[in-house]
Amino acid sequence: MVKHENFKTCAQSGFCKRNRAYGDTALSSSNWAAPYSLDPASVKFEKGILTGTVSKTIANTGEAVRLPLTVAFYESGTARVTIDEERRQKGEIELRHNSKAKKQRYNEAEKWAIVGGTTVSTGAATSKAAEKGTTKIVYGPASKFEAVIRHTPFGVEFKRDGETQVKLNDRGLLNMEHWRPKVDKPAPEKKEGEEEKKEGEEAVVVESDKEIAEDDGTWWDESFGGNTDSKPRGPEAVALDIEFPGYEHVYGAAEHAGPLSLKETRGGDGKYSEPYRLYNSDVFEYEMDSPMTLYGAIPFMQAQKKDSTVGVFWLNAAETWIDITKTTTSANPLSFGIGSSVTTQTHWISEAGLLDVFVFLGPKPQDVIGAYTELTGYTQLPQQFAIAYHQCRWNYVTDEDVRDVDRKFDKHRIPYDVIWLDIEYTEGKKYFTWDPMTFPDPLGMNKQLDEHERKLVAIIDPHIKNKGNYPIVEELKSKDLAVHNKDDNIYEGWCWPGSSYWIDCFSPKGREWWKGLFRYDKFRGTMKNVFIWNDMNEPSVFNGPETTMPKDNLHHDHWEHRDVHNINGMTLVNATFDALLARDKVEDKHHVRPFVLTRSFYSGSQRLGAMWTGDNQAAWPHLEASIPMLLSMGVSGFPFAGADVGGFFGNPSKELLTRWYQAGAFYPFFRGHAHIDTRRREPYLAGEPYTQIITQALRLRYALLPAWYTAFHEASVSGAPIIRPNYYVHPGDEKGFGIDDQFYLGSYGLLAKPVTKEGQEGQDIYLADKEKYYDYFDFWTYEGPGTVNVAAPLDTIPFLMQGGHIIPRRDRPRRSSGLMRYDPFTLVVVLGNSGDAEGTLYLDDGESFDFQEGGYIHRRFSYASSTSTLMSEDLAAAAGKKTKEYLKQMEKVRVEKVIIVGAPAAWKGKGEVEVSEEQSGKISAARKVSLDWHDKEDGKAAWAVVRDPGVQIGSGWKIAFA
Amino acid sequence: MKAKDKDIAKFYKDATAFTCISNPATALPIARLNDDYCDCPDGSDEPGTSACAHLSPLSPHNPANGAGAAGSNTTLALPGFYCKNKGHVPAYVPFTSVNDGKCDYDVCCDGSEEWEGVGGVKCEDRCQTIGKEWRKQDEARQKSLGTAGKKRKELVAEAGRLRKQVEDRIQSLGTEIEGSEIKVKQLEQEVADVERKEKGRVVKGSVSKKAGKLGVVVGLAKQRTEELRETLERVRGERDSSTSRLQEVERILSTFKEEYNPNFNDEGVKRAVRAWEDYAARDKGPDVDAAHDRDLDAMTKSDKENGLDWEEYEGDDDDSEADVLYAFESYLPPSIRGWLDQKLRNLRSTLIDSGILADTSAPSSSGDSKSVTDAKDRLTAAEKEVEKHRKTLTEHQDDLAKDFGPDDVFRALKDQCVSTDAGEYTYEVCFLSKTTQKPKKGGGHTNMGNFVGLERIVVDDELPPNGKGLGSGERIAMKHENGQHCWNGPNRSTLVVLACSEVNEVWRIVEEEKCVYRMEVGTPAVCEVLGGGGGRAGMEGKKAGGVRDEL
Repeated sequence: MVKHENFKTCAQSGFCKRNRAYGDTALSSSNWAAPYSLDPASVKFEKGILTGTVSKTIANTGEAVRLPLTVAFYESGTARVTIDEERRQKGEIELRHNSKAKKQRYNEAEKWAIVGGTTVSTGAATSKAAEKGTTKIVYGPASKFEAVIRHTPFGVEFKRDGETQVKLNDRGLLNMEHWRPKVDKPAPEKKEGEEEKKEGEEAVVVESDKEIAEDDGTWWDESFGGNTDSKPRGPEAVALDIEFPGYEHVYGAAEHAGPLSLKETRGGDGKYSEPYRLYNSDVFEYEMDSPMTLYGAIPFMQAQKKDSTVGVFWLNAAETWIDITKTTTSANPLSFGIGSSVTTQTHWISEAGLLDVFVFLGPKPQDVIGAYTELTGYTQLPQQFAIAYHQCRWNYVTDEDVRDVDRKFDKHRIPYDVIWLDIEYTEGKKYFTWDPMTFPDPLGMNKQLDEHERKLVAIIDPHIKNKGNYPIVEELKSKDLAVHNKDDNIYEGWCWPGSSYWIDCFSPKGREWWKGLFRYDKFRGTMKNVFIWNDMNEPSVFNGPETTMPKDNLHHDHWEHRDVHNINGMTLVNATFDALLARDKVEDKHHVRPFVLTRSFYSGSQRLGAMWTGDNQAAWPHLEASIPMLLSMGVSGFPFAGADVGGFFGNPSKELLTRWYQAGAFYPFFRGHAHIDTRRREPYLAGEPYTQIITQALRLRYALLPAWYTAFHEASVSGAPIIRPNYYVHPGDEKGFGIDDQFYLGSYGLLAKPVTKEGQEGQDIYLADKEKYYDYFDFWTYEGPGTVNVAAPLDTIPFLMQGGHIIPRRDRPRRSSGLMRYDPFTLVVVLGNSGDAEGTLYLDDGESFDFQEGGYIHRRFSYASSTSTLMSEDLAAAAGKKTKEYLKQMEKVRVEKVIIVGAPAAWKGKGEVEVSEEQSGKISAARKVSLDWHDKEDGKAAWAVVRDPGVQIGSGWKIAFA
Repeated sequence: MKAKDKDIAKFYKDATAFTCISNPATALPIARLNDDYCDCPDGSDEPGTSACAHLSPLSPHNPANGAGAAGSNTTLALPGFYCKNKGHVPAYVPFTSVNDGKCDYDVCCDGSEEWEGVGGVKCEDRCQTIGKEWRKQDEARQKSLGTAGKKRKELVAEAGRLRKQVEDRIQSLGTEIEGSEIKVKQLEQEVADVERKEKGRVVKGSVSKKAGKLGVVVGLAKQRTEELRETLERVRGERDSSTSRLQEVERILSTFKEEYNPNFNDEGVKRAVRAWEDYAARDKGPDVDAAHDRDLDAMTKSDKENGLDWEEYEGDDDDSEADVLYAFESYLPPSIRGWLDQKLRNLRSTLIDSGILADTSAPSSSGDSKSVTDAKDRLTAAEKEVEKHRKTLTEHQDDLAKDFGPDDVFRALKDQCVSTDAGEYTYEVCFLSKTTQKPKKGGGHTNMGNFVGLERIVVDDELPPNGKGLGSGERIAMKHENGQHCWNGPNRSTLVVLACSEVNEVWRIVEEEKCVYRMEVGTPAVCEVLGGGGGRAGMEGKKAGGVRDEL
């Protein structure tokens, strides 16, 4: 059970409470006037960027606070609204407690999160048609987007095709807590040395004469769990209401353990009463269906209505809360709900930093995700091993234990690619060391793994043991590279090793130092097949407030931890990624792609590796929750995501373990993991029939690796999710917007709905479109739209193939994915109602950067019913330096089998097809190859097999069926 | 090109056509043999490629995987790719390893399974070297096995000797029992005789002679009882205070366990929590039960309240003083009687030792004379002797009936210990006794289970070249259960699996699951029985090469 008392509620988090109260007051008073207005005279528009000054009027004094505004319009059609505070910007404030913290609002989040897509639009222009009191900018593709900026009170409406899609500050909840000096009241309620008022307790409200009372009880300091935050800059929260008119569903705001479609948060039946919280934390035994914060934060939200998707990205690294409410508006009160629409209202509240929000106007889900990932970066194309199966446990206890597990997998013919070491391999939790008693020969171990192209992933955490005789900590201290406390001295806290310091990866020097630690001659015992797992990087601090660092800790350049908290985890992974690149010499021809797994993340972490959902439990609800959680990651631009297969805490029943492998075979990141106090559960230990069924699931994953790898390639160039929820694939199908327990794999029309309930033997699958769907395993035919029931005894995964696709596979079971490199392909052509089908294949060496120099194969396969021809066309860009070499290397790799599911009856008795292949630019003479026909049977589709067409996977060819 | 085993080779003789081995209805042109495409539902057309490697219950279901029509026999016809291994022993390598770009010299020393050279791999024939090395090791192994066999013979002989000892003892016990029984009969006769003689003779001890002494005794008894009562009260007070302190500590610790943050993972705290859980899970010892306390209450009341009035006895000279010592018990509440009786017996022997009381058992309430009593005592002693012999006999008979393994061989290993170092610990097994984990850094030993019996298990391990491993087949294992309780887990248990070796030695120790250990131990005791013939098993291991798994 999660310890709720260790984590704040909104009411216990001063700025959240203040802003909720602010909003409630605003919404409940009829004569509420938002105190922010844009001075029309200050507005300038130049080269795609609008600037101006918003002023905030202080109720009591009438004083105006100047807030510089920037609205930028990018080429991609993305708009960005940024508001700063002039006084802080200029550093004209005084800090309390002699703090050395930086005076500005944190303005470097973009330095970490944004990597592209900020070319300003040349087409954006002010519109003369603006109504009085507004400024209107026309922008975006074909100038179909508009931003209408209302001057008083300040607000922005974003329109597409003349229709409003997103409204900022429509409800007037915009709030920037301006800097003010602390005025010590003579009031007797607080005496020096006396105990601070209790956490979350109702603060004394200072009544002012006229305007709404402001609760200043948490302006200057705030305590929680015995830790006091000194808040040297006073109150500095930013908040804004963002409305999606006519949009009933919103997604994103990862990471939370709840449904994909976000719930309302202001109470009520089946709704949450707490806002969604984003404050990266090590939440021990987290609970299901909860808006509680987890390990990572992606403040990106999409809204979905029929045939339209829009989104916002709230670029802020401080603690953030998001309230969501929905209202139903009826077009006509007599229409009894017909024509009514639901509007989603959100309220974003961050503790500090700039107000910096990006608006995406779609209209398709991929347009929004694509625009967001253009900004924050695409998923790195991982090495192939990284998307195969990973075997982890806390802990494989000796190097011999690792070797033994390695042998046992081979012995049981179970494929796996990577074995992992948790913290116990180190000598006394000192990272970059090996326990000499238990791991006397790490190199020997790694070499054994390498024999079958397997890898080792070792954990390295950001806390460095504070103990003498440990050169790493000596260097960290002497070079002053650790995070500082509020007094600007080295910060000491507790984690696995006991007393520890934390590397500050915000510091360029720190990152440079970190980079050096992974060199093979520094981290002895590692070699090229060793990769890294960064855990505890929220950061997890056992004795810190909410198990993390005090907010008044200081990072590089004197930014407070408060400013950068949610980005902290990403900086470590960034440094580790660079370190893995740097450990191989530049002249090394096969410089391999790094692999880093992280627990904590932020927008942009997708560029650096994989994430997993942290410490889940061996319980059915956790298996069930893993699917919406991973779908949510997928549509948040970070699709390389997984959950611990089997459940981290506790012992899964064999049925649960088996079902979990069946689901895990569809996790983009597929790793079995277990807590140190659990029983061993490597697949071969399960016993029959479980081991056999689990092996089938693993082999299914391996057979489909060409499809997975292609989906990853797509993600690496477009940000597209790898496993895709119904709304993403069918954005016009409102019925499917809430579905988050089934998903499509890549662009292949492969629809899976793993069983996640105990004893369940059948599965209802929702088919969104009028199309044929075939059971992957026996070709049983279903027809959409509607819900169909698929039998799902323990040995069966509910898994369908939508008509119209071509799926590449490699069916030969091998010991690891590396050993499949030269295996032939099978193409599965799935014919649906149109009779046409297509699919793509991306292939490279699966490890190096040669693909950036053309060392890859990218094909489009298509079957046209009109000509009864299956073709392979080249999708590769112009040839590069490595193209020829790679094609040469792959020239013997052929298509060994083409399976046509839903084959036309006319092929019966045909017996042969004609194959012609392109060789050195010429089309070879047609060969005849046999075609085996299998008739319809019961509910199963007719299918045919082209026997060994023998065509090269990397070249053009044609198979004529007519 | 791709060779086959002789038994299988016959299917491939026809130079023009091939019929699938398990599906003779499927005939293929010879060109489809080994053409890297799987045609036969049993995979028999691809003995030399990996094309049929997917035919396995371990692969996902797929109609197109069956290669042939439904209902055909899809059991794999071949055990794997056949490596001739000229100069060594032929073996099968799994089809999944054929042409994957890696030389599998551990099975296929001639490198023939990588005939296609994918990715430029070249696996030269290493059978000369590997075969030579193997033969050398095999020879050493055979030699070692020979020695081991001899040692086993010695052990069996030793076990036989030990068994003979037991048998001999059983025999002599039989004789002894017989003798003792005769003696008992004689003594019974004697008692009867003596009693008869004594009858009619009225012997009543002179009361007056002992009158003064009784008073002394009663006085002493009173004083002693008083002392005992005081001591009891004091001890009880101390106990109560300890108990309440203990309860307080337990309360503190259980709150501590509830409230500590497991995330902190402070080793010290974690150890304390573990130790507490172990403690809490252990037998608590008898609770202070209320009945017992009531007894104590009763005992600590003054004697009068208990119905015992010393004054009555101090002045009373009527009865035999010794009788009083026994008879007065009947005045006591039964709860105290037993306890006091013991105390008084002790008191009495003290009195006898100090000469205050006459050393005579004669004045018993039945009034038997000394000669009768003596006779009865002798009878009782003789009966006890018979009982003791019978018990010993049963023990020895049980011992004989116990399973000491084939040829009773483990009898010779009883209580012998062997150990090995692994990581931070030394692990020890003491045969037929227990297994123990001893930290190298010092600290307490942990019992990993007490011997409960033998069982037979099937193992399937690759035998290392030095023969120090379990190999494949049925092996004898010693079960050890109920070791020290594990934090967040079960009581520790160990399965000690035995295989043939020249000396007793621990080869490997693994924690298979939390606190469930498996120890692989070599011992000559199991040679040439189950787990015997390591050398032969080695060859089988090579040949089998995991062939069975995919069948």
